[in-house]
Amino acid sequence: MELLPQLLLAGVVIGSIYALAALGFVLIYKSSRVINFAHGQIIATGAFIAFALTQRGLNFWLAGLIAMLITFGLGMLIERVFLRRMVGEPIISVIMVTIGLSSVIEGLIHLTPYGAGNFSFTTPAVLSGEGLSVLGTQLSRTQLAGVLTALALLGGFTYFFNKSTLGITMRAVADDQMAAMSVGTSVERVFALAWAAAALTAAAAGVILGLMSGLTLGGLAGIGLKVFPVVILGGLDSVVGAIVGGMLIGVLENLSAGYLDGLVPGGGTREVFPFIVLIAVLLLRPYGLFGTKEIERV
Amino acid sequence: MPASRFTQTGNYRVRYQQDQTIFATSAEQASLIVGVLLLLALPLLLPKTLLRDVNMIMIFAVAVLGLNVTTGYTGLINIGQAAFMGVGAYATALAATRLNLPFFLAIPLGGVAGALVGTFVGLPSLRLKYLYLAVATLAFQIIFEWLVGHLPVLAQGGAISMPTVQVFGIRDSFLNHNRFWYYLILPVLVGLGLLWRNVLRTRHGRSFIAVRDNDRAAAAMGIHPGRAKLTAFMIGSFYAGIAGGLFAYFQKAVVIEDYGLHTSVQLLAMAIVGGLGSLPGSFLGPLFIVALDRFMGNASEWLGAQNIFPQGVDAATALRPLAFGLSIVLFLMFEPRGLANWWRLVRLYFKKWPYKF
Repeated sequence: MELLPQLLLAGVVIGSIYALAALGFVLIYKSSRVINFAHGQIIATGAFIAFALTQRGLNFWLAGLIAMLITFGLGMLIERVFLRRMVGEPIISVIMVTIGLSSVIEGLIHLTPYGAGNFSFTTPAVLSGEGLSVLGTQLSRTQLAGVLTALALLGGFTYFFNKSTLGITMRAVADDQMAAMSVGTSVERVFALAWAAAALTAAAAGVILGLMSGLTLGGLAGIGLKVFPVVILGGLDSVVGAIVGGMLIGVLENLSAGYLDGLVPGGGTREVFPFIVLIAVLLLRPYGLFGTKEIERV
Repeated sequence: MPASRFTQTGNYRVRYQQDQTIFATSAEQASLIVGVLLLLALPLLLPKTLLRDVNMIMIFAVAVLGLNVTTGYTGLINIGQAAFMGVGAYATALAATRLNLPFFLAIPLGGVAGALVGTFVGLPSLRLKYLYLAVATLAFQIIFEWLVGHLPVLAQGGAISMPTVQVFGIRDSFLNHNRFWYYLILPVLVGLGLLWRNVLRTRHGRSFIAVRDNDRAAAAMGIHPGRAKLTAFMIGSFYAGIAGGLFAYFQKAVVIEDYGLHTSVQLLAMAIVGGLGSLPGSFLGPLFIVALDRFMGNASEWLGAQNIFPQGVDAATALRPLAFGLSIVLFLMFEPRGLANWWRLVRLYFKKWPYKF
């Protein structure tokens, strides 16, 4: 059996990127109850900024870092300009603003020369060598670096939420905005920070994905849709859920591609399987694996 | 007869009978007649290329009417309206090509198919609310697109061409296509608009609003929120199915690209820009979005010819989503009640004319 470990590994690799993308999504939802439909486009923005910087002759690592810093500011800006006015508006309005934003960002990317083409990073020398052999299958150095970076960022954020003062403040706001405000927390600052941090992780996900499978607007922005099955499975407001959900969806997706594609005419179950899982989760356990269950009493 | 036959100012109603009249002044009655005549004469006045857009606007208006029932009135966010349209379109296509049904049976059948699927997809709404439901309809949209792409019966998402239609001895042909369908879509749109208005006046309509505003309070008052939500889904997707059937015949073929996520987002945008939960908004929204798209297409063609953009940039693919997204965001930020509110203000002005209050 060569197939199974290969599928599992590929699943974990792509799953770690899903987890990273879902982390940004959860950060925003957790603090401000906003579902961000523009997340895929922010991922693409981060990746293309990094790519544009390497085109100018900048070192890959430095370019990635600067891209993350730029999107950090960008996230804060988006919150400040568009989302701050929407506090207290009905959910449909907030969702539609992010859908509108996704369209705006896509239009802006199309204004640069990067909108239509297919690009790839020049792989840094450290990552182009011989890969690693795990469970009898090859794992390239870029994939390994991607997974490790993703895990480091995820671990860092988990630590940040549990230990640092700012992280605890953000959790407090997520828990009860009114109570947090009444003890002197600036809720606005927390919202801005959540958007900024989410954009930062999005850029990281974009750069890693770009390094592994090339840069196209459609491919990068498409991750924004994959985030939904991940966060619904893991629980919309749980960081751990984002990690576990990302890995699970990544693995399930690859398993379905490996074992179900032969049974379905035309194949391509990879695209649809996560959404079938999503519906099943919604019907059986709407709050996901780790999400908070909301109890209502009439 | 009122004291002033032209404006409402200065007219005082002293009897219930006067209060219940449909037309308060003869000017209103006259404007309706003029409006209907204008609508009937429109194909003779407009150039052919614009008439095509008018037909598109009317078909989208049917779908947006349905979306306004689910999203505008009942507050169920539906990111799958285009998929319901697609269900209607494919059902109509199958009925027309396999069963050889005439179009006046095939299109309602598409509506019924849309309603059935819509009610089924709405089932999670019994347990879920807000965001979760939005995600459920999104998932349906994606599963639908995938499913159509893999079913040989549906040409795997490729084009299924529709038969040519004949009414009263007039055949739909290359020469009169837009005009022909204008006169077929217009009565459907008007009829469904009237139905919309009247359904929302019944107890079902009132229970939709109650569920939207506060479903726990609605439940406490004896309304069954689940039933109201499912009814809303049924009506909304019935409209979508009819729109899909019309679209299939109008485009002469069914292609999966017409019913993708992008169309769903466009329909939502139309509902928002027009004004959620309003009848005039359901017409103004599609008008605005289709006109904007058309305008941006022309504008970017002109801009592209001026060599402003760097090499490799297609102005149309850049400016159209940009303008589309910006219009949604700006409307939500500055005029959440949409174009319907402007329409209301204009009407109010003429009602009060010549006074300002």
